[in-house]
Amino acid sequence: MAGGVADYAAISARVRAMYADLLTPQDIIRLSEAPDFLSLFNLLKGTAYGRYLEGLKDKDINSRRVITQIKRKLANAFYSVIQMAPVQTRPLVKQLYRYYEIGNLKAVLRGIVTVSTWNTETGLWDRVRDVLFPMGSTSVLPVQAMVESGSVATAVDLLHGTPYEETLSFAMKRYSAEQNLFPLEVALDLSYWRRLWAETQKLTGQDRQHSVRIIGSLLDMNNLMWAIRYRVYHKLSEEEVINYTLPFGYRVHDSDIRAIAAGADIASVITRIYPGIPDVNALLENPQAGLPKLEVLLKRRIMEECLAAFVGNPFHIGIPLAFLVMHDFEVQDLIVLIEAKSSELPEDEYRPFLLKTNLLPEHS
Amino acid sequence: MFFPEAMTEVELIVPSKDLLAVTKVLGNRGVFHQIDSTYLGLENLGPNTWQEKAASYSTLERRIQVIMQNLNLAEEYSGTSNFDSIADLEPLQSAVDRIEGEVKQTSDQLAAEKKSLEQLESQLHQLEPIADANVNVGALRKSNYLHSVLGIIPAENVGRLETSLSRVPHAFFTLREDPKKPVVWLLGPRSNSDVIDRAVKSAYLNPLTLPEEFEGTPAQITESIRKAIETSKQKISELNSALARLADTHKKELLQLLWDVHVSRMIADAIARFGQLRHTYVVVGWVPSADLEGLTQRLKQASKEILIEAIPVERSGHHSNVPVALRNPAFLSPFELLVNTYARPRYEEIDPTPLIAVTFPLLYGAMFGDVGHGLVLTALGLLLKSKAIKALRGAASFGNLVIACGLSGTIFGFLFGSIFGFEEILPHHPFFGKFFWLSPLHETQTILGIAIGAGIVILIIGYLLNLYNAARARNWGRFFFDSYGLAGLILYLSFLVWMGQVVANLFTGKPIFPTFVVTIAQILVLIGIFLATIFSHPLQHWMETGHFEIEGGWGIFIVQSVAEVLEKFISMFSNTLSYMRVGAFAIVHAGFTSAVFIIANLVGGGETGIGYWVIVVLGNLGVIILEAFIVAIQTMRLHYYEFFGKFFQGGGAPYEPLALATAQEK
Repeated sequence: MAGGVADYAAISARVRAMYADLLTPQDIIRLSEAPDFLSLFNLLKGTAYGRYLEGLKDKDINSRRVITQIKRKLANAFYSVIQMAPVQTRPLVKQLYRYYEIGNLKAVLRGIVTVSTWNTETGLWDRVRDVLFPMGSTSVLPVQAMVESGSVATAVDLLHGTPYEETLSFAMKRYSAEQNLFPLEVALDLSYWRRLWAETQKLTGQDRQHSVRIIGSLLDMNNLMWAIRYRVYHKLSEEEVINYTLPFGYRVHDSDIRAIAAGADIASVITRIYPGIPDVNALLENPQAGLPKLEVLLKRRIMEECLAAFVGNPFHIGIPLAFLVMHDFEVQDLIVLIEAKSSELPEDEYRPFLLKTNLLPEHS
Repeated sequence: MFFPEAMTEVELIVPSKDLLAVTKVLGNRGVFHQIDSTYLGLENLGPNTWQEKAASYSTLERRIQVIMQNLNLAEEYSGTSNFDSIADLEPLQSAVDRIEGEVKQTSDQLAAEKKSLEQLESQLHQLEPIADANVNVGALRKSNYLHSVLGIIPAENVGRLETSLSRVPHAFFTLREDPKKPVVWLLGPRSNSDVIDRAVKSAYLNPLTLPEEFEGTPAQITESIRKAIETSKQKISELNSALARLADTHKKELLQLLWDVHVSRMIADAIARFGQLRHTYVVVGWVPSADLEGLTQRLKQASKEILIEAIPVERSGHHSNVPVALRNPAFLSPFELLVNTYARPRYEEIDPTPLIAVTFPLLYGAMFGDVGHGLVLTALGLLLKSKAIKALRGAASFGNLVIACGLSGTIFGFLFGSIFGFEEILPHHPFFGKFFWLSPLHETQTILGIAIGAGIVILIIGYLLNLYNAARARNWGRFFFDSYGLAGLILYLSFLVWMGQVVANLFTGKPIFPTFVVTIAQILVLIGIFLATIFSHPLQHWMETGHFEIEGGWGIFIVQSVAEVLEKFISMFSNTLSYMRVGAFAIVHAGFTSAVFIIANLVGGGETGIGYWVIVVLGNLGVIILEAFIVAIQTMRLHYYEFFGKFFQGGGAPYEPLALATAQEK
């Protein structure tokens, strides 16, 4: 206990303070009621995101730039937590943060493959830069050099010495043969989650218990959605679905994934794992519209696991992890709102995709 | 010290002819925080050529770095080199082209040869586990009934591959155990070859690809590959020697080129963010006011016709764009770290560092009041600061913080009459007895009352600081109607009067305030609730824009208001009582040490026994370790939650001056 107290003295106080800075579900509703993008921007300036938006010049007030600025708050939160996390848990938090680096890496590779074929006046780097997560100097990716290399093979060569070199060395043989980013992206995802899970297994006691619960829940959602999408959209064979998924998690077991891969009724598998999710059959009738909604429902389950981490003994890594996940979900909500307001979508089209509003009493 | 360093906005109009000289001065002084002023330039002058130049220099710099890497030359900047003017791109490019041409051919050959060697070694590596097998590898490929795959797989995929083939008859052998890349051999009926191939592909198993010329048994193939490897290694050695000769020839020139291009790139980068007019450039940035005179003199030496407009920024008003440079004395650095961990102050805000340098040790000491324990903590702080223990060097910056907390604990130890838990020695000492104030363990109500009182004072200071910050920022909406503004302060004070009366009536049966004072307080609570809670946001919006607006309609507004009023009362109550923990921890601290003595008496056999003293020493040690951390958390919590939340917004921009010198030179 004394060790736990010593390790978590500073981070516990700091994370609680940062957690108090997150938007409430009422704030999200208030923001969603903004009539247009500019009003939303002005409302956001009155929140904890204000300090990140103040520097924007009028010409830069567009959805992409605002989203990048909003992500900066999340990046700073990760930076603070990584700095303050106890030594034994720091690799886990750092690996969790790599999620955004993986996203950047995929964006760079997609940029090279797709954007380079467009005939636009804007430079390739300028187009890709706008969609990258602002990781700053914490990233090991030489993103600009990769983009400017103009070829996937050369870009991957530039990853020499990074944690991605080995993963991609296997996958590149398939890319060379198939000229499709799918094997690279799947390899990156699998490697990321394997490493993250391995980090949770290195911990002990409450740190392990809480990290398995939170990271495992995230993994459950991804694993389940992968299995369903590979079967429903990509029509992959049983052996491929198994190889492209992972055999561990918190609630979702390998037997569940294998059952989906083997052709079992997906709705009954989901209902068995998450009895609280209503009308799964209806969601799966039209996968195009239903799967994103299912993903939202699974994310809401993750939020519940995160909130549970704040109850009881505060001296474990569960609270910082839960805070970071909640913060990420908040940023996802804001991105939904910004994209919706700038595209002038009607409320009923984007409201179901908001995560935090689930915390309001009428949803519980 | 109480505010971020005063900054002056500097606007320079630089004649085109002096552009480089001025940029050089700005870079060399290392005090100019540049801001992008391209928007001040004329748009009809065409594209910004400096941006193109900066990009060209950047590309050139990368090319030089690649050449140097190929030649195994370390990147060094010749810091003593002079750079009177930005280097011409063309001669630099020709020089780089020439050297690159010479180096590229050899380095490309080397890269290709290395790749070929790597492939050969990989094939050899894969064949080693089956070197003794007396089978013709070529024949395996041509089998009529068996489908066979020999190759390397990521170690973490092995289990999943086997799982994926669980419903297909197969044999799986790991020929070479390797933590990352094991060599495996998979066999199955040819009729299932499509399933096996899909599984192999999706498990990222890279099949061994032996060139057609390698035929025969693994032993025969291994021999052939070994010979090819020898030839390849010899070629690589020759190419390396050739590159070493090239490195000797070009080292000096490459280092000079690197320096010229590096400096030119940095200057071009800076100039690209200047605003370009027809014959002049507009440069905008920030300089600490104290450094302004020195910079101005040097700029005037560099350009006689330069126009310098310095606009000192008042601390009043809202200045989110002013970079914030904190210059506190070195001994306050751990407190500055505590503040920055929460947030960097804004330019117009009070820097709370000196304030928490007082309140942090004060609250810590009150909760950790024991002369002995305080001195142990002070000694630990001195040890940290001295960096004598290697393992603790990382925490050296916290030395002063620990010393301050330790000394404060010592002072409170004298006031509480406690030394290593002995409560009878100091109060009865002829000299130290004069300092004795109260015993937390015996006067619990008094200490709790004092703690709450101190908390109220600290909270009121927080409110006053918020008023001060709001007034300086000329944010009158926040000043009057913020939850912690003037209306909030009146609400809090009235609430205290009202609650004080209720508590006094409850416990003593005697009121402490005259009835009319309480009536006024109740009226003020009612007004305060409306101004600082229910209508706080609309009123602030009204002060800012002149429009009174209820967001989201009255229905939502009323529901929100009810929740906010409830939350406001709870938070005023809990914020105040939160400081009771200071008294409570003082009691707990004394209680813990008393428990140590009780255990020592029961188990250790009285003061004459060795066991008694062993338990006393170990018990004290335990109390110091446990409480030092718990009290630190509580102190931090009181500051971050209760105190900072009242007045400190943070979010200031960091001060990052332009500097041509590299980190290495600095």
